[in-house]
This record gives sequence, C-alpha cells and structure tokens, in this order.
Amino acid sequence: MEAPPVTVMPVTGGTINMMEYLLQGSVLDQSLDSLLHRLRGLCDNMEPESFADHELVYLLKGQQGNPFILRARRSLAHPTAPWHLRYLGQPEVGDKSRHALVRNCVDVAASHSLPDFLNEMGFRMDHEFVAKGHIFRKGALKMVVSKLSRVLVPGNTDNTEPLSLSYLVELSVLAPAGQDTVSEDMRSFAEQLKPLVHLEKIDPKRLM
Amino acid sequence: MGVTCVCQVPVAEGKSVQQTVDQLHKKLEQLGAVKQGSFFVDCETYHATGNASGQPSKLLYVMHNSETPLSCMALFEGGPYLTADANFDVLMVKLKSHFQNAKGHKVESRGARYRYCDFLVKVGTVTMSSSARGISVEVEYCACVVPGDCWNLMKEFMQSFLGSNVPEIPSVFTSKPEGLFAPADCMDTMSQYLELFSKVRKQQVLPGSSVR
Amino acid sequence: MSGGPAVRVSIESSCERQVQEVSLDGVETYVPPLSMSQNLAKLAQRIDFGHGSDSDEEDPSRESRESDWSKQEPEEDGKFQVSLRKLIHYKIYSSSGPMKFQPCLWPWDSVRNHLRSALTEMCVLHDVLSVVKEKKYMALDPVSQDPSVAKTPQVFQLISKKKSLATAAQLLLKGAEKLSKSVTESQEQRRQRDFNAELLHLRSQWKLRKVGDKILGDLSYRSAGSLFTHHGTFEVIKNTDIDLDKKIPDDYCPLNVQIPSDLEGSAYIKVSIQKQAPDIGDLGTVNLLRRQPKARPGTVLIHFLISAQNVLLCKEIFAQLSREAVQIKSHIPHIVVKNQIISQPFPGLQLSISLCHSTVEKKNQRTSPDKAKPDDHLYVLEHNLHQLIREFHKQTLSSSVMPHPASAPFGPKRLRLAGPMAYDKAEISCLQHGEGLLEKIVKQAKHIFLRSRTARTIDCLASRIEDPQIQAHWSNINDVYESSVKVLITSQGYEQICKSIQLQLNIGVEQIRVVHRDGRVITLSHQEQELQDFLLSQMSQHQVHAVQQLAKVMGWHVLSFSNHVGLGAVESIGNASAITVASPNGEYAVSVRNGPESGCKVLVQFPRCQTKDLPKSDVLQDGKWSHLRGPYKEVHWSRMEGRNFVYKMELLMAALTPCP
Repeated sequence: MEAPPVTVMPVTGGTINMMEYLLQGSVLDQSLDSLLHRLRGLCDNMEPESFADHELVYLLKGQQGNPFILRARRSLAHPTAPWHLRYLGQPEVGDKSRHALVRNCVDVAASHSLPDFLNEMGFRMDHEFVAKGHIFRKGALKMVVSKLSRVLVPGNTDNTEPLSLSYLVELSVLAPAGQDTVSEDMRSFAEQLKPLVHLEKIDPKRLM
Repeated sequence: MGVTCVCQVPVAEGKSVQQTVDQLHKKLEQLGAVKQGSFFVDCETYHATGNASGQPSKLLYVMHNSETPLSCMALFEGGPYLTADANFDVLMVKLKSHFQNAKGHKVESRGARYRYCDFLVKVGTVTMSSSARGISVEVEYCACVVPGDCWNLMKEFMQSFLGSNVPEIPSVFTSKPEGLFAPADCMDTMSQYLELFSKVRKQQVLPGSSVR
Repeated sequence: MSGGPAVRVSIESSCERQVQEVSLDGVETYVPPLSMSQNLAKLAQRIDFGHGSDSDEEDPSRESRESDWSKQEPEEDGKFQVSLRKLIHYKIYSSSGPMKFQPCLWPWDSVRNHLRSALTEMCVLHDVLSVVKEKKYMALDPVSQDPSVAKTPQVFQLISKKKSLATAAQLLLKGAEKLSKSVTESQEQRRQRDFNAELLHLRSQWKLRKVGDKILGDLSYRSAGSLFTHHGTFEVIKNTDIDLDKKIPDDYCPLNVQIPSDLEGSAYIKVSIQKQAPDIGDLGTVNLLRRQPKARPGTVLIHFLISAQNVLLCKEIFAQLSREAVQIKSHIPHIVVKNQIISQPFPGLQLSISLCHSTVEKKNQRTSPDKAKPDDHLYVLEHNLHQLIREFHKQTLSSSVMPHPASAPFGPKRLRLAGPMAYDKAEISCLQHGEGLLEKIVKQAKHIFLRSRTARTIDCLASRIEDPQIQAHWSNINDVYESSVKVLITSQGYEQICKSIQLQLNIGVEQIRVVHRDGRVITLSHQEQELQDFLLSQMSQHQVHAVQQLAKVMGWHVLSFSNHVGLGAVESIGNASAITVASPNGEYAVSVRNGPESGCKVLVQFPRCQTKDLPKSDVLQDGKWSHLRGPYKEVHWSRMEGRNFVYKMELLMAALTPCP
C-alpha cells in the first residue's frame, strides 16, 4: 500500500473511497530537534527531507448546507511540481476502538492553472498559509512536522508570520476504506514518540 | 505530442456514417498508413446547481483522451483549462451537490488510429446518447510542436485523403496571444474536440444512423 | 629523597668479629680477630679426621646458628632497622625450607655462611631501602630516644618491637596482594575497553543495532535501494573463549561475528558464452570453485563481512536474473537450472550465467579436473552485472522520493506528473518499466560476442589473403552496446594512390552497420558468413579500383568501369567488377575483370595493325581501318612478374606504353 494504484482506465478513473487516517499533535520549537532525531531513527532510511508549501483553502457556498471545502497546495521549493488539490470529508463518527481520526479523502494532482480554474468554478479563497517543515516516511505512514505561518499580504509567500511557537506534528496514512489495521500501526508508532510528542485523535469540529 | 488539427467530415451523400468512415479508412490504407489500435475522446457536461451570485453559470466540461490515459481535462468554454489526474473524476462525484452531470449530454468519439510516418490520424464516429452524430478526423503531426511551422505540411497531407474537406487552421492556434508560434499542447486538442462536440450537439440527429 | 623527612639510616657492616661483651651502655667489646695461623688451627680443629663425609653432626650448625643469634642479639639496642633486618632475615631463613642448615662437614662452611649472611644482609638492606623509597606503605620516623623506654628490659622491648614489625609486615603483604589483584583487574578492564573500542570501530563501518541482549548488524543493501528479501543480518559476539592467564595471541580480537550460514565463503557470478549447448544433464553443475577462497576469511573481521556482503549481492543478482528469466517471454525460453541461467542470444550459441558460491569446507573436496577446463569467464560482463544491479538499486531509491507538496500521497514522482502534465502512452510506458537486468546483460553479451567474432573474421581474412591487404583500426571508445572499427583495404606499396575502400563497421547488438566512405550504408546480420562475403567482394572491387587509380597516375584513359558486371560467369559471392583502360596513345587497351570467387582475368587488346594473323576482310581494305582495335589476348597473369596485383598491372601498363 504505497501509493493509490493508478488505473489506466480513463472514464471515471481514479481511486474511489480512499480514507485518511490521522493523528495530530504539536511540539514546542525548543524540542523540535529531539523530535527530528527520534524520527530519523524510527523512520525509513532516507535523508530527512524538508519542504515549503503554500496552501490555499477554498470554499464553495451552496444554497443550503455546509460550504464545500477544497485545499489547494503548491510546493514553494519545487515550483514546477504539480499542484495538489485535496478534498477532505467529515470525520467518521464514533467507533471508539479506532485509534485515529478517519475521513474520506480525494487527492488530485493538477496543473498550475488550478487557482484560476477554482475561481471559475465558483470557489472563493477563504484563507491561505505557508507550511514549512520536514517530512518522514515509514512504510505507508507519513509523518509531517511543520511550522505554519500566516500570509500577511495575500499571495505573497515571502512575507509571513508564524502562527505559534510550536510545530504541528501529523501522522497520516492513506488507505482504502475498511482497513482499520493501519490505525493500530499508527498507534504503536505514536507510542514510540510518546515523551516527545503526544499524538492524538483530534476532531477538527470540536475546535471550531 | 505534436500539432493537432481536429475537423468534422460531413457524411458523404447517400452514405451512412459507417460507410463514410470505411471509405476514409480505405483511403488512408491506400496511402500507406498503418492501423495502430483504436482511440476515444469523451466529454461530460456539468452545470452548477445553485449559485449565490445569480449570474448565469458557465458549463464545465470534463474530458478524457485515450492518448493521455492518466489525465483528466476540465474545461470551461473559452478557458480556463485544467489538466489533472484521474482522481478529478472522483472529486466531481463529491461535488455532485454543486455540479450536476448532464447525463444526456455525454458525447464521445471512438474509432481507429492510423499512423503514417510522423502523422497520426484518428477517424472517429461521434456519438451522443448512443446515436451517431458525425465523423471526426484528428490529424497530428508528431515531429513538430509549433503550429506555424507545419500547418502547410499538415494541410497538404490532409488534402490527400480528405479532398475538399480540409479545414482552415484551428482557431485555438490563431487566437493565442503569442500567435502561431506558441507550442501546442494537449489542451489545444481537447478544446478543438470540445468545439466539434458542441457543434454536433446542436445538430439534428442524422436519420437512420444508430451505431452498431 | 630530597623532599622526604630527614631520616637517619645507620648502615652497619656485618659483624665480622665476635662480640665478647656488651656493656650496659651498649658498647660492644669484640674478640680480637684471629690471626691467620690461629684461624687455620681453629678450622683444622673442627675437622673430624676420624669420620667419613657422611657423618651427621648437628653441633657446628647449631653452634653457628647460635653464634649468629648471639652476635646479633646485642645489636637490638633500640635501632629499629636492625630488628627489622633481623626479622626479615629470620623470615627468609625460616621460609626457605629446604635451605635448612646442613651439618657441615666442609671446613669452609662458616666462611660460606658468613658470605651468605652478608648477602642476606645486603638484600634486606636493599629491600628496606626500596620499601622506604615507596612512601606509600611505610615512612621512617626517627625513633624517640626516650630514656624511660631505654630502661625497659631489653627482652620486653624486643618482643614488642617484634610484634609491631609483624603487623607492619602483614600490612605490607596485604598491600602487595592488593597490588597484584589490581594488576589483573586492569588487564581485564583493558580487554573490556578493547571490546568497546572494536565495537565502535565496527559501528563506523557497518550498521549495528541492539536487539534485546544481542547486537545485530546489517549486511544487506536495503538502505542502498535493494529489494532483496534476504534479511542479511549478522550477530556481533564478544569473544570470550580466551584464557585470561595465558598470553593473548597477536591476532586476538575481542569481537567475533556470526553471519548467516548461507552467506559464508565467497561467491561470484560467472558469465560465459559457449558455442555448443552441453548435454542437458550437465546443466547446473558448473565448475563451482574456480577461485580460491581467501587465505582465512576470519583473520580480518572487516574482510570477512565484506565477503559475506559480496555473497549477498551475488545472490541478489542471481535471484533477480532468474526471476526475469522466468517472467520474460522470448521465442527461445531462458532456462534456469539450479545455479545456472542459460539463454540463447544467437542460434547455436549459449550464454550461461551462474552463481558460484564456495564455502571454506568445500575447498578441501576440490577436485582437480575442474581446472582443466578453459577459463571462459567474461569478467567484463560480471562487472557490468554488478554495475547494473547498483543502477537498479539507485532507481528504486530515487523513485520513492518524498512528495512535494507534502500533503500529496506517496508514489513515484514521475507517475504523479503523468496526470497534470498529460503524458501520452509512450511516455507512460517508458516510465513504468525499463529493461530488466537479464535483457540488458543478454544484449551486452550479444554485442561482445559479435565484436569478438568480427575481429576474428577480419583477422582471419587479413592473414589468409595477402593481396590486397586489409587493416582494421579498432576504436578505443565504445559503448556497452556499440563499438566501431575502421577497415582499410590497400595494396602494399600503393597505399597512397589506392585508398578507395574505407569502411566503417558499427557493431551493434544484433547487426553490423557498414558505412562506406561515400556514405552508403549496408546492414549485415550477425551471421559470420555475411561479413566475410562482404569483405571478400570489397577486396575484389578494390583491385579494379586500384587499376582505375593507377591508370590516372600512368596517364591511361578509363574507357569503361563497372563495379557490378552483368556478364560472364555468375559469382557465388557478390558481383565481379571490370575496367577497361586505354594507353595514352590509344593503341592498346587493357581490360580487367575481377571477381571475388573467379579471381582476376586480364586481357590486352592489340591494335589491328600489329596482328598479323588476322584474316583479311573483304570490307576493311582501306589502310585507315588498320587503326581499328584488334583482338584481345589474355595475359597469363600468374606468370607476370611482380609481388602483387597492382605492381603487375603497373609493369604491364609500362610495357604497353611506347617510349617517348
């Protein structure tokens, strides 16, 4: 379960019903180094890679119900890389036995015309931020440690201000629906990071 | 990917769509072109359900081309265009409360793919809700990406099997701000197909031409 | 000793005279020494002339002992050093058990005893001084000259001193014991330190980690991108089977490693190309042990691990090759038998790739007949296989790069680009699977074979045919799939004028492309005969070209020239070529026909006027007709003088050219 298998069948292709399993936490800036150290030891044998991304969150307001949210992300470090458009569904309710937050997820790689296109579709940008940090991998587990900064002048990613004095730590896995065993792997991985960072199942709705 | 020209070929007098297609195939084979599999291009139409601002909404077209099997092209008439991977279709399913698929408007063109040296010729039958509506011919000159450099060559080649039906240079090339010498890409092909499909859609159903 | 307290040490000479009397203030009165004669008389008195040598007489020893004691007792006058000396003296005497005083029958016994006691005294003194010098254990203090003490009875004083000395001695002994213990301990510690140092050293070169109470190392190439399933772990063990008391051998290493048994020994991949397919029964029993295993793999730990890692890599290469051999569908299927993969690059030819793994034990059962086989191992291909697997590793590493932006899912980067960049089918298929290891190595083998056979063909021709000459210039720089050779056909002595034939042979994988000097391209297949025939026909054409060039130099006129003559006998290889040249004044004409198979035929046409035997024609009566060309006559070419064809031709032309 490395990447979503790409079907070479065009009409309504893509990978249906992928789920994101997520655990979140945060560390203070001071303890970042020790966390990175630990992650280097635990994760797959690759040089730790840093990243700098710009994320734009778009809303499409319909006549009724909740607005439709799409997240468009581009890499600042790799300007030629395709944009990443992401739809995240509502977290699945209940099921205390699961150790991670589970939500529907659609990942689309798109060309650079994405912002214009979303505007044409009726989406409006709600907010934007810059995330800079490090990314690790252990098998299918993805570990992202990032610093979030708000963009002071819209569209200008050079002029930013950190949102807080801490780093966001996210542990996530993409898996087809129903593969709840991955949450078990995530829990044991999170367990190994315990004193440094407490990764928890955080419902974004609770925070709103 | 080279420079592509898509045109509609009228059905020959007194012949069915299939017969006209067969005739084209025969001409190409006589020319020395070799058949290399088949192709298809399809197009779905979506329209926004509710829109807060109240202005008339544009139609969103999502297209696929067998030539680029991992891609999915989304277009508005006149732009902007988006190229994405196949997961865009999944996203459109998620968006169904905001964008409705006009099922009856699905148009596709299917047919044979011929290669003649650097030229790729695709002769397709355009169908809409399982009735044949016309014939599309796509000619691609793979050895060049600048339309201005090879248009005359392509025109001459098309004359050899289309005769008098050779189209003018596609407007997608001429309307670009950089002119004829901007490199062509897959979107140029798709917008030509889109143009052809909307022409076909408005057309009357051809009598007695249900496909297969 | 400058820093130490001022201590008075009195040193006395050993008592040589007998003490007669000790006065109360400690002054000793000595017996005056015996004169030589008295002494002799005294000694003579002791000799019991009546007894044999064996007679046991306790007295002298007791006497001497008593005298020893008696002469020393008076010295116990409060001087500590002396008592100590005496004590140690006593100790030495009592401890050296076998050195009991024997009854003395020897007249010089007392002299000897004196000497011995002198030696003892000296030793004791030396010991005392050395103990004193080591201030750790003992310090000297001036003994207080307390008059009250002096008054205590001497015997009592003696006893008390004896006691205190005994405790001091005990202390010393204890210290000595501790010292010796600490020495052994530090030795043990050093060994422990060695272990840690070695472990650190090992860690700098190998990946080690602690699992439970074991230390495990990693031999695999997984971190370099290998996908081989063999775990490839080794265990680091502390080498404890060494006797602490014995001397440590020089090559002793506190570390030992235990590698999986299937990685022991040495291994390599043998690649060879054979002409004939051996019997199917022979398959898989390829000569395993051509290479001698290293002298002793365990001698150097690192070498041991490196060779184990090499075995692992060889196994991976072989596993990959055999997997591909089974998967790839070719018209002649690849055969995988035991440790051998057999493929047929060209008909009648087989490429065999085998994994040769030799362990130390097997070395002993080596059989000599193996050695008789010729060594057809292709080292280049073995090396290339290693290179290819590393490339393969690198590919797997680079394909699993982190996604950018970070939120995107994992996956090959280029496949992620395929959607938004609208890659077409051709681009996608070239992303998805490249050529396998086996396909590449088979292609390389084909090329190597084709190249060496081309070289052989050219060399054979060059040595077989002397006229014209054939030269080959091989290019030093070549690709694994392509190399080139320039072939020149010349005539000896005429290299400057006859260089019409220059061929560039580009040797590929399946075929040879021949590029002429004028740009014509001919493609030859891998068949040896094709190249040979082609070169033969080129050589035949060369001769005719040479005549053409020669005619130019000699001032003759070319009347006709044809590379491919349509008339005459049909050649089995290529076509015959022909040329006709006329002498400068037009009287003579020489016609040459040269075929690759039929050889050359040279005809000379004489002017009509020179031929006498020509039948008179009724038509050609006029004198002017005598200038018409006459009949042809063949030249007996083999009888012509000259070392080669062009030289002969030059002679012929010269002979036919009238002198100016």
